[in-house]
Amino acid sequence: MTVWSVYYIVHSMNENVFGSCIRERRLALRADDRAFSLRGVAQAIGVEPSYLSKVERGLQPPPSEHTVRALAGALGEDPDMLLALAGKVSSDLLRVIRRRPQLFAQLIRQLDQLPDHAVLRIVREVRDGTW
Amino acid sequence: MIELRNDTLVISFPEIHPAARLRISFQRTLRIPDDGRSYPLPPSIGAFPVRHVDDFAARVSPQWLERGGVMLPMFQAEAMWLDFGSDLVPEHGVSYPFAVKIAAGKINAASGEDWREGLHRGPQDYLVAPKQPWLDGYCVEKGFIRQFVAMPLGSGYSAEEQLTGKAEHGGVQIAVYPMKRAVFERRFPKRPPPPPFAARAAMGPPMPSAAPMDCCMESAGMGLAAGGRMRQEIYDDPYDFYDWDSAVTSRCFVHLCNSLVWQSITGSAPPHPAPTADSYTRAGLPWFDYYSDGLAALPGSDRLAGVKSVAELSAEKGDAVLPENTPVSPENIHLIRAGLTPGQVREGEF
Repeated sequence: MTVWSVYYIVHSMNENVFGSCIRERRLALRADDRAFSLRGVAQAIGVEPSYLSKVERGLQPPPSEHTVRALAGALGEDPDMLLALAGKVSSDLLRVIRRRPQLFAQLIRQLDQLPDHAVLRIVREVRDGTW
Repeated sequence: MIELRNDTLVISFPEIHPAARLRISFQRTLRIPDDGRSYPLPPSIGAFPVRHVDDFAARVSPQWLERGGVMLPMFQAEAMWLDFGSDLVPEHGVSYPFAVKIAAGKINAASGEDWREGLHRGPQDYLVAPKQPWLDGYCVEKGFIRQFVAMPLGSGYSAEEQLTGKAEHGGVQIAVYPMKRAVFERRFPKRPPPPPFAARAAMGPPMPSAAPMDCCMESAGMGLAAGGRMRQEIYDDPYDFYDWDSAVTSRCFVHLCNSLVWQSITGSAPPHPAPTADSYTRAGLPWFDYYSDGLAALPGSDRLAGVKSVAELSAEKGDAVLPENTPVSPENIHLIRAGLTPGQVREGEF
């Protein structure tokens, strides 16, 4: 198996995860509201229904960050979660990383094993004293 | 946990719910006339700059460091209101509710009692945010408050000095308690997000540019005193007392300093002072009235009602502390009604 075929499998796997996730979510919403039809959602986020259908079925790679964000808004999903499924990093995060790439790469690798509550504590808190 | 982001305190409880996040900002406003008449709500002319006291450890007093928290600069010619906000939790269709205790000089702004930890009812010593979107002053009577205005600590004007006889704390104290997650999920069950076509509109008070005015103070620490009388209701808690998670709290001490001291501590200039109520009103700029159907107002604190306003006390003392106190007659008053859902058409008066 060549490097390229591994890349293709991994890549197409990512596409399917993204596509099936948004399709599943859309169909669940459509059960209660017809506005969540393929056509309705496509129109709301400014793409062609045929294009959205291909993305859902993994026949097209995930769309641009802008469209993923619009999709997240329309489906009530978290944009960072959908971007991650689409194999993308939000442009604001990219800006942060590009300022200090080595430091952030090191930090993120170290955070990998930490439990959620410990990660959430890594912010600068306003210190409360004695009063 | 409390973070400071863009001059706003962001108080979050990720251990309770990912959306349990409240924002509190400190809005600069004009000092309404302190003449015994009742006025509508004044505008925001922008947020006060807020900094960690720890960032200026070498230049602030050891007492400030001991209390921790943040600091902001205030001119004597301006007043402050607190703005509470939190994002809509889309799957529940509401914002996460919080019980918020606010005190100035450790005198509770809703009940008038001395600061004590925990939440209490009878009298209620907290407000429910963001249902209560703003707080402009001390709750002195049902439907009326006295505006938060700054006075030098030690001059005898602050509510703290009048009620305790001491100028010990000054500043503003905040403690926030979230609603219990199980209660939140029971009271506000999940629902699908709005259809993708729903339009959302945002509206905020305008921010006119401030007319420069020459006024500053001599002493470093500031306390909040009772200024002019204003129409504002502090709402009775519409939930059950045990809906609040009293075991989980975040607290913050907000130190107030006069604007000259701010400059020497931080090296940066404070914002321009607020315009006077007179010049603001003469320019035809808007005032506000807020209505929330279905929420009852707290009766107001007798203890706070007994606090003398700055004008009353200065007349007794023979001081001239108010640079400008001309009565005004606001005519351009915008009515804001609470609880309109996105897309709902507001019914006016006709």
